Amino acid sequence: MDANALNIFWPFGLVIMMLFSIGIYCILATYNLIRALIGIELLIKAVTLLIIVVGYINGRTALTQGLVITLIVVEVVIIAVAMGVVLGIHSKNNSLDSRNIRNLKG
Amino acid sequence: MSNLLILVPFFSVILLSLIFRVKMKGAAFILGAALSVLQVYLAIFYSNAVWNNSPFLFSNFLKLNLVVDNLSRVMLLSIGIVSFVTVFAARYIIRDEGERFNFINLLLIILAGLNGIVLVRDIFSLYVFMEVVAVVSFILIAFNKDIRAFEGAYKYIVLSTVATVLMLTSIALLVLIAGSTEFSAVSQAIKNSPHGMFVMSAAGLFICGLFIKAGIIPFHGWLPDVYSEAPPPASILLAGIATKTVGIYTLIRLVSSVFCFDSRINYVLMFVGVVSIVVAALASLGQNDFKRMLAYSSISQVGYIVLGLGCGTPLGLAGCVFHLFNHSIFKSLLFVNAAAVEFKTGSRDMNKISGLASGMPITATTSVLAGLSAAGIPPLSGFWSKLIIIIALWGAGFYGYAVIAALASILTLAYILSMQRRVFFSKLPEGGQDIKEVGFTLALPALILGAITVGVGILFPFILNTFLSSFAFP
Repeated sequence: MDANALNIFWPFGLVIMMLFSIGIYCILATYNLIRALIGIELLIKAVTLLIIVVGYINGRTALTQGLVITLIVVEVVIIAVAMGVVLGIHSKNNSLDSRNIRNLKG
Repeated sequence: MSNLLILVPFFSVILLSLIFRVKMKGAAFILGAALSVLQVYLAIFYSNAVWNNSPFLFSNFLKLNLVVDNLSRVMLLSIGIVSFVTVFAARYIIRDEGERFNFINLLLIILAGLNGIVLVRDIFSLYVFMEVVAVVSFILIAFNKDIRAFEGAYKYIVLSTVATVLMLTSIALLVLIAGSTEFSAVSQAIKNSPHGMFVMSAAGLFICGLFIKAGIIPFHGWLPDVYSEAPPPASILLAGIATKTVGIYTLIRLVSSVFCFDSRINYVLMFVGVVSIVVAALASLGQNDFKRMLAYSSISQVGYIVLGLGCGTPLGLAGCVFHLFNHSIFKSLLFVNAAAVEFKTGSRDMNKISGLASGMPITATTSVLAGLSAAGIPPLSGFWSKLIIIIALWGAGFYGYAVIAALASILTLAYILSMQRRVFFSKLPEGGQDIKEVGFTLALPALILGAITVGVGILFPFILNTFLSSFAFP
């Protein structure tokens, strides 16, 4: 990593940091189940951007493009299953508030 | 031909869903049992050279650089045994034929995913197969569609995705250093890299993600909920092998062959392992739910595995792999017993069920065997693996950790015996006489697993000479 690479990295790095902090804040601050999933999406988007920037700095764009496409497909599957679970919670509980589902403790 | 281990389960799912879905749903059970028995047979009797040799016909599919070595074969063996048990438990417990068909299809996908994790030598393919297993686990946990299972599944989804994000960040940083995702290239780059702190932070992120996936103590929030609320066959599979392969096997593989036993990582591993052993054993003492107690016990045993790994010597590695195998056997046996008790009495509360030993002799006997093996009582298999771990710790000079690990066995014995006394060997309640033994399909897996626990313990010299020496003295 030379100085030029760092110059390329900084603007992207700032956006990645912002996405990360927004995502983590979103997961921690909300009580809504779907908003927590949106926070997770933001985190994964930050990582996707990081991988692309890494490929750009490294010159390994082919490798990282393959990684990113796989990552996007996997992420969609995870969010679909997670939404299924949220729908299940909503149909049983009539609420999307995480304060209302506290059956498991100890 | 190791790619067949991934391709055959996937194609059997397609075959089942296309052809056998309309009629003949019983074919799923036969196919699932046959595939897992075949995997056990092949893992035991085929040498590594046969596995890695690729005949012309098969070599063109799934070029993922799959390699079989001794550690992989141990894992393939455990995966085969536990999935065999799960198929039989599903046959007994899930009464509706359509649901059982779906369950076994999911089981076959998770089988392909676990085999993939064990075989790949590439951090990104590792991530993809981990996600295959994770997604199927989410569905299996919420299989019965009740609100408690949904709650456990949601917790698991959120924490598992956070773990995924940590691991992907680490993968990105490692690609930045190494320019490749192969284990060997990454390992070389880590050795030669001038940025020591940067590499260690990447490794640390990956290990944190694996700790979440494995449910080690600071990150264990999801594990008791998931294990206790999942349907009984799914919790056998998850507790027996799925989280162990995803979290612990991957940790062993990465620490031993990619991060090459860096001393800073080893200190973290040992500290976390000891904390897990003690805290989870204490938490396990206070539980009233049968499966929740077993879940905490699982965390505690995983602590032993991580402790043996963190010791960093070949003997510690051997002990840790051996304990991983033993743990997958006795923990799935305990979960089979929990499934039998829950099926027969309809309750998991250990204060309400009592005196089952007279009605269910096979369940009671095998659970005593599994419990004593978990606690490390001499002739059984768990004793030998704990002994090797403690000897390895002592030999490497970590006397304090060795003493704690030995003393924590007493805690294990305490919660196991408390469970046995409350569930099986206390007075029968009024009207409890009509509880009978479970049927053949659930008693058979319990007997097989019990026989493996006793057999591995008694045949230990043989195992020491063949399997363990390949790890301890390569």
